[in-house]
Amino acid sequence: MSLHSGIPDAIAADVRHGERLEWWTLLWIGSVVVVMGLVMGASQAMKSAVIEDVLSLIPAIVFLLSVHWERKRANRRFPFGYRRANSLAFLVAATALLSVGGFLVYESVTTLVRQEHPTVGGITLFGETIWLGWLMIAALVYSVIPPLVLGRIKQPVAKRINDKVLHTDALMQKADWQTGLAAIAGIIGIGLGWWWADASAALFIALSIIKDAIGALKQAVAELLDGTPRALASNAIADDAKALIAALEARFGQVEVRLRETGRYIAAEVDCRPPAVIPTEAELMGEDKAWRLASLGFRPD
Amino acid sequence: MLALGACDALPRDASGTTSRVERTHELRVTVLPGTPDARPALALLGAYARDHGARLQLVPIHGEHAHKALEDGEIDVLVGHFAKASPWQADIALSKPVARGEPDDRHHPVLRIARRNGDNALILATDRLVDEAAR
Repeated sequence: MSLHSGIPDAIAADVRHGERLEWWTLLWIGSVVVVMGLVMGASQAMKSAVIEDVLSLIPAIVFLLSVHWERKRANRRFPFGYRRANSLAFLVAATALLSVGGFLVYESVTTLVRQEHPTVGGITLFGETIWLGWLMIAALVYSVIPPLVLGRIKQPVAKRINDKVLHTDALMQKADWQTGLAAIAGIIGIGLGWWWADASAALFIALSIIKDAIGALKQAVAELLDGTPRALASNAIADDAKALIAALEARFGQVEVRLRETGRYIAAEVDCRPPAVIPTEAELMGEDKAWRLASLGFRPD
Repeated sequence: MLALGACDALPRDASGTTSRVERTHELRVTVLPGTPDARPALALLGAYARDHGARLQLVPIHGEHAHKALEDGEIDVLVGHFAKASPWQADIALSKPVARGEPDDRHHPVLRIARRNGDNALILATDRLVDEAAR
């Protein structure tokens, strides 16, 4: 058990899988940004979709950075290692998600208040002038597929390695494909002469993104304030943390037990004399989750 | 066939301009003062009007008020010299240059047709005519 060493063998393969998924995310979403940039024309809705896609790369980038730091060994300048980089990355990812939601709300509300009528004209391709809206819809269909697939693959991996950054990134992917579908509805709405359709659809989706982001921010702040470990998808106490408290109380009686989370790892502190035989991680957490318990300390009165 | 029909059905105008032109048989056009070469643009707009059973109705408006009149729907199109990087670019929908190529200098004003934002059917139809004329 150590708070300071790199990534445990039990989850090393899954963490590498998560890294590969994030590299794919950067590649695919990067290509989506290029395609959307080529067809966005003067459409504010498409510009917003591109900005949202660029912001959505942030969780993937901070996940890769945090895993890189997590592998580094503790040293004289950082004697407790770098595992909390994951907690910091989680805060950044949650903030990025909130920024996407906030940006979409601002764009949608200003469009509706100013009653801006979006203009989508023609584009000449191979000698034919066609409505740019059709190209935008094709680009948006392309933009919806990668996040839909990647988000679904990431969720079980995030659960196995208990990674809130990867989980937030899966939420970001959900935001991506939902805003993509909303933008398609919006472009069709523009085509039908409903100037308000695009902004209304985006506003509806933005409110759901903000709800997810505020939930993630609460968890991130709780983690940085050494709160009891939270569940992956909500601000409730994590099930394995509850089970650990119960296991420690069963073993040491009604003593004060404090848990906190550093990245994906739990540190436990029990207010009693150290026992003659220290229980193993597997005894307290079960074989599957043994890696989660990185530190167990005893504080005699 | 259904898909092709759907393709032709879109886009429509947010303000219903094309329907109004067909109903009133008038396309209201203002030519900005200082546009001596407006003839090719008026010829294109005349062709558009004929296609919709309408004729051009020239509306004299002082240059200073013409953009506002277009935004407010008092006229349907505005013909004049505009740069690609025109300060009006966000407020009105500018066509490609009429009867000439795009100048290298984005700030050089050339003959263009300005349409009201959101009039996407009118914008696409006139964009097509400008492109056909260029060919």
